Amino acid sequence: MQLNDKASIRRALAAATCTLLGSASQTSHAEGSDEKWRVDTSVLYYSEQDRVTVVEPVVFLRKTTGEDSFVNFRLIYDTMSGASANGATPTNKPQTFTSASGTSTYTTPAGKTPLHDFSDQRVAVAVEWDKPVDHLSRAIYGINASTENDYRSIGLSATRLRDFNDKLTTLTLGIAGSYDSVMPIGGAPIPMQLMSAAVPSPAGGEGDEGEGGKTKLVADAIVGITQVLTRRALTQFNYSIGYSSGYLTDPYKVVSVIDATGATLDYRFESRPDIRLRQSLYWKTAYHFDHDVMHFAYRYYWDDWGIHAHTADLHYRMELWKGAYLQPHLRYSTQTAANFYTYSLLNTSPVPTYASADYRLGDLTTTTYGLKLGIPVGRTSELNLRVESITQSGNGYPADAIGIQKNYDLFPTINTTVVQITYTGRF
Amino acid sequence: MLARPLFILLTLLTLSACTLAPVQPWDRDLLAEEKMQLIPDPVENFIDEHIYFSKEGASGGQGVGGGGCGCN
Amino acid sequence: MTLLRRAGYWEGTFEAMASPCSVLAEVASAAEARRLLDLARVEALRIEAKFSRYRQDNILHRINSSGGQPIEVDDETAQLLDYAAHCHTLSQGRFDITSGILRRVWRFDGSDRVPSADAVAALLPWIGWDKVTWRRPHITLPAGMEIDLGGIGKEYAVDRCALLLAAETRASLLINFGGDLFSTGARADGHSWRVGLDDPSATGSASAGEIEIRRGAVATSGDARRYLLKDGIRYVHILDPHTGWPVPGAPHSVTVVAGSCLEAGMLATFAMLMGHDAEKFLLDQHVTHHVIR
Repeated sequence: MQLNDKASIRRALAAATCTLLGSASQTSHAEGSDEKWRVDTSVLYYSEQDRVTVVEPVVFLRKTTGEDSFVNFRLIYDTMSGASANGATPTNKPQTFTSASGTSTYTTPAGKTPLHDFSDQRVAVAVEWDKPVDHLSRAIYGINASTENDYRSIGLSATRLRDFNDKLTTLTLGIAGSYDSVMPIGGAPIPMQLMSAAVPSPAGGEGDEGEGGKTKLVADAIVGITQVLTRRALTQFNYSIGYSSGYLTDPYKVVSVIDATGATLDYRFESRPDIRLRQSLYWKTAYHFDHDVMHFAYRYYWDDWGIHAHTADLHYRMELWKGAYLQPHLRYSTQTAANFYTYSLLNTSPVPTYASADYRLGDLTTTTYGLKLGIPVGRTSELNLRVESITQSGNGYPADAIGIQKNYDLFPTINTTVVQITYTGRF
Repeated sequence: MLARPLFILLTLLTLSACTLAPVQPWDRDLLAEEKMQLIPDPVENFIDEHIYFSKEGASGGQGVGGGGCGCN
Repeated sequence: MTLLRRAGYWEGTFEAMASPCSVLAEVASAAEARRLLDLARVEALRIEAKFSRYRQDNILHRINSSGGQPIEVDDETAQLLDYAAHCHTLSQGRFDITSGILRRVWRFDGSDRVPSADAVAALLPWIGWDKVTWRRPHITLPAGMEIDLGGIGKEYAVDRCALLLAAETRASLLINFGGDLFSTGARADGHSWRVGLDDPSATGSASAGEIEIRRGAVATSGDARRYLLKDGIRYVHILDPHTGWPVPGAPHSVTVVAGSCLEAGMLATFAMLMGHDAEKFLLDQHVTHHVIR
């Protein structure tokens, strides 16, 4: 066997053997496994202190429809109630707010962060088909839809995965699009319009006057590489880009208009740009310590609204007895504010095109501590319980607060508790 | 500005794939365990993605096509 | 099928692929050892049934009796055919799964009945992987040709069983199918498994030595009891598909240690096919080996 590099026969042979056995180990899975179904039933209880409470039952179903082919089904029912901050700042007098159509009002006592009550139910379904295309590629196609009192969404997604390098490297390409429509309760306000200028409409119908139904188109794409590093380590690196266009403003949020003494005079309905370009770099690694497994992820996000965010996430699964585990979770995320984010607007300043006081677009730090306990049920099933504590904070006393604003916490810390119980059955 | 660190990271990843000894099929025992999936618990992952999507300005990174909601 | 308790491990044996097969497992309980043994036995028998040329009900028979028609094969068969094609290229045509029909004229039973040149030459038109059309997933064998996966079947079975069992247990295992073996790792006390090497010229009695194996495979290509002896010339059962005659100067046996049984077995086969140059080939490949002439 005359080859330029004599030892390359062995390498070529090792590679060919790897391919044969590597793919062999994939086919054995489907042959040997009896479990066709995987069902996850879960209930989530989410509660922000003094704010929103959500109870959400969830069902995930996964059916094996053939050798390496699956269908995934997802059904979510959300009930949300409580109050969320409407963006106005607390002040020394009680405050009254009206909807865009002027038909409904609510008030906040003096000194309290203004919140608006709401109650909503949401139903979301999704179906996904996951199957091999050839012996090196897979395709996943999905459709999803959701509906709630004031929002509807329908979307499609397609992802392609291809293996290289004896299945040690996988390239992922995905695209998705969705079409959302918003029917705000009380109508969609004219952006930056003064609340005092909102008039009750003669017809009184909801979502009909001003600009009634609004729409939004979202397109997302992702490209990623997953690489097996060692027997114990797997890593993934993704780049994502997303483009949203349409009605991106929150119709229920306002920005306080204050005077030189810091007193609140009026409010303007917030306004956000009607396009948003989002990008992120995401890196995740899974590491196996013989019994325990650790997952670590980091994401850097930036968009054309000026938001930059760093997020780090760590899960450490500690094996207890056979099949049982305890998993602490730590997440830390910080973001810089959108360039149109502001605590309030000064009445003597020119009215900006875009402004929002929604704390979720501000300089925000989110810290999460969580713990999850998993217990095996029978040979193939599991029951798990997780509890998480999320704290969101920002600067409540900015240096440029004016007059009486300085007496109030303009960015109250929000503490949230999450409790989720899940039963995963395989049969 | 971002292109430089991105390029370095991608190069490192590609190099690591070439220079690390390839993992043989019989050495993929640990990797095949369900808890070693990059998303080991799809329900937990979905719920968390949804929570942080509605509570923060940043979102995404892991995949596409989760579906929209009025929560943001 | 038997299961015996040894010092620190369980030894299970069964018969498959016309060879004694054993699975040595360093597990604590007999139930666990039996479960692993069963898994290995079922897989070995499955592979044997699927690729044996002695059966009329498998994909191999369908291919060999296709009369020139294309046959669609499943993924596993396709992977094996890809592998055989690759080995054919790497060995510059010396490894050829269509050369099995030579067994019709060559009976390696230790006698002196060497076939005539004409008898051998008559078979050559039906030998040659180049004559086969393999376009995954369809294989077209010209009428009269046959493929034989015997040269890789046992090694494939060892590696497959190793994969399956390694997914079931962290314990150290040694799988040995008639001398082709794979070990998943050093034993719990840090020692290696010790396997005796068979001396082809004195099978059953004296052993040619011992191999210590921690993680990896050992395969042997040898002519034990499969040769012809005429006029002082030994004709080994390793045939050159281009000529139809045994490779001149082939050693008695070649044993190779490598990462997988398939790799070890194929390197051993390649070395045998190199005849006089067997040792040189193995040295060039930088692989642990043992050659007996």
